[in-house]
Amino acid sequence: MFVDFFYSLRERGVPVTPTSFLRLQKALALGVIDSVDDFYTAARSILVKSERYFDTYDQVFARHFRGEPFEEISDIEWIDIAKSLLEEWLKRPKGLAEAFGLDEKQLARYTPEELIQYLLDRLKDQRGAHHGGTRWIGTGGTSPVGHSGHHPGGLRVGGASRNKSAVKVAMERRYRDYNQEGPLTELQMGEALKRLRRMIPHGPRDVVNVAKTITETMRNGGEISIVFDRRLTDRLKVILLIDNGGWSMDPYVDIVQTLFNYARSQFKDLKIYYFHNTIYGRVWSDPQRHLRPEAIEEFARRNPDTRLIIVGDASMAPYELMGANGSLYVGQKDSRSSEARLKFLARLFRHAVWLNPQTEADWHYTWTVEAIGKIFPMFELTLDGLERAVRHLMKKN
Amino acid sequence: MNSINEPARFQGAAKYVLDEELAKIVNVSIVLEMPLLLKGEPGTGKTMLAYAIAESLAMPLIVLNVKSSMKLLDALYQYDTLTRLNDSRFGDSKREVSNIEEYIRMGKIGQAFVSDCRTVLLIDEIDKADTDFQDDMLDILDQMQFDIIEIDRTVTARHRPVIIITSNAKKDLSDPFLGRCNFHHIAFPDPEMMRMILNVHFPKLSEGLAKACLAAFYRLREFRGIEKKPATRELINWIRALQADPDFDLRSLEKGNLPCLGVLFKKSVDLDLAIQQTGGSRR
Repeated sequence: MFVDFFYSLRERGVPVTPTSFLRLQKALALGVIDSVDDFYTAARSILVKSERYFDTYDQVFARHFRGEPFEEISDIEWIDIAKSLLEEWLKRPKGLAEAFGLDEKQLARYTPEELIQYLLDRLKDQRGAHHGGTRWIGTGGTSPVGHSGHHPGGLRVGGASRNKSAVKVAMERRYRDYNQEGPLTELQMGEALKRLRRMIPHGPRDVVNVAKTITETMRNGGEISIVFDRRLTDRLKVILLIDNGGWSMDPYVDIVQTLFNYARSQFKDLKIYYFHNTIYGRVWSDPQRHLRPEAIEEFARRNPDTRLIIVGDASMAPYELMGANGSLYVGQKDSRSSEARLKFLARLFRHAVWLNPQTEADWHYTWTVEAIGKIFPMFELTLDGLERAVRHLMKKN
Repeated sequence: MNSINEPARFQGAAKYVLDEELAKIVNVSIVLEMPLLLKGEPGTGKTMLAYAIAESLAMPLIVLNVKSSMKLLDALYQYDTLTRLNDSRFGDSKREVSNIEEYIRMGKIGQAFVSDCRTVLLIDEIDKADTDFQDDMLDILDQMQFDIIEIDRTVTARHRPVIIITSNAKKDLSDPFLGRCNFHHIAFPDPEMMRMILNVHFPKLSEGLAKACLAAFYRLREFRGIEKKPATRELINWIRALQADPDFDLRSLEKGNLPCLGVLFKKSVDLDLAIQQTGGSRR
């Protein structure tokens, strides 16, 4: 019963498992469900395990049981449209190139797979534009409902920032793996971060060491002598500084958020601060960078063993990094250059890394990336880079 | 395992306002013998639900407050080595030193398993523990048995407890964990629901006061930058405070003066922000 319903949930990206489906059958057989309303509630609590999918569940339910159509075209249908367009293009290359405002030769360089992806993205953009939205950048990152596990995240076509064109960002699709196999890669990310811990005995001596107690009791001629140990606790402190401002970081919002979520559950003491582009006199503990500022000098009071992780693309105009008053913000007067601030942080914390979401191959294109790379050891924000960064952070010296 | 043929139906309790949807979910979970995982903002009554179920079904409630340092074994049983050592040295207790079983104490999950009647087991704030703890615990709750290594005995649940698990986490729990639970997300009560909750707590509350308080309360929840939003508990305490305040005047509240903000906002940063945004002065 309701097999179609089960599959349309899966199609729409709700991770329902066969086990839970069988469980629903059991509930039906036991006779605890005797109306559509009951079914709606019971099936949701049994099948859907996160409130993020509640909305999708509602849509599927409405379509299935009330015949309501979906508001949006599904990804699969988009792919069909893209495919038919591709066929069209094979017959008449010029027309399509014109339609998308692209050079014909440029199109010809793409592999079919890339092309479909590209068309798909463009089609979705088109749709966004029809709805009157001009700013759809990064919608994939904020959308609470995933479509078939695919986020169209972080395209930029509307306004190119610096020398990074939208098509390039779209075409690279470096984060496709993260998008499509989210849970798996997130897990790996968690695993990579797990090594970032340091267990040391800490706190009151309240654990009985049985072996030592027996030895000591023997030595004491049978008079009980109890030996207590300290518990092993994870004392690693981490400060995470995140560049969350500016368009240049938008394509990476998704992946950085994944990192956050894992970081949160991983460490005993984690402080997250935000900055825009680079660090001047202060950073903020609220993502809007408005309400709760903290002066960089305050960091001197932290334990120097704290691990400092900075996430940012490190790309900016040279004067923003080197100038004594380089901040983009009016009213944010600063006596020292950002470079001096970064060096100050690097001196404070022996264990510090900079994670850059751009691929390493691109780093030498931007002068400031190289300059910052001289202050902090810089690693790619990929699984591989993350592991190397963790290894660096855990070095003893 | 004894399953109860005539499943008791949960219908709410004296001090708990239950919405129909949640009641259904609780009942389905009881029938399916599945743990029910509850998520939702603090103050939406996740923990209170377990108390209400225990009260309504007249079952004893066993609460396991999960702590971050907790090991799964602590929740199952403890082997009291120190007492045994002490007894072996002085030999003045009634316990039999050679019988290790006398030094095994049941933890909360263990208690629920060996109880003579069916119990409600509340596992509160599961997200505080690490993922391994969560998964291992669910294994035990699935099989309804665990081993006591020291005496090589398997403890099997006499009655499958009604298990309620709460989580405050924003992030999802692990997939194997979720696979074994029923899930419900309790939304923050809307003003209408809140009015009913207030009715339960303050049967004699005047309509005007309730209205003004609710309006103010939901407005305060909208404030920017608040770290810990006031929830149901804070609202109830606030109304209590207002009723106890001799200077309190309903008309001034309706005009937008908010006394006793400290009851609603527990963090000094939040309180300052709230005072700023109401434009009032601290009292």
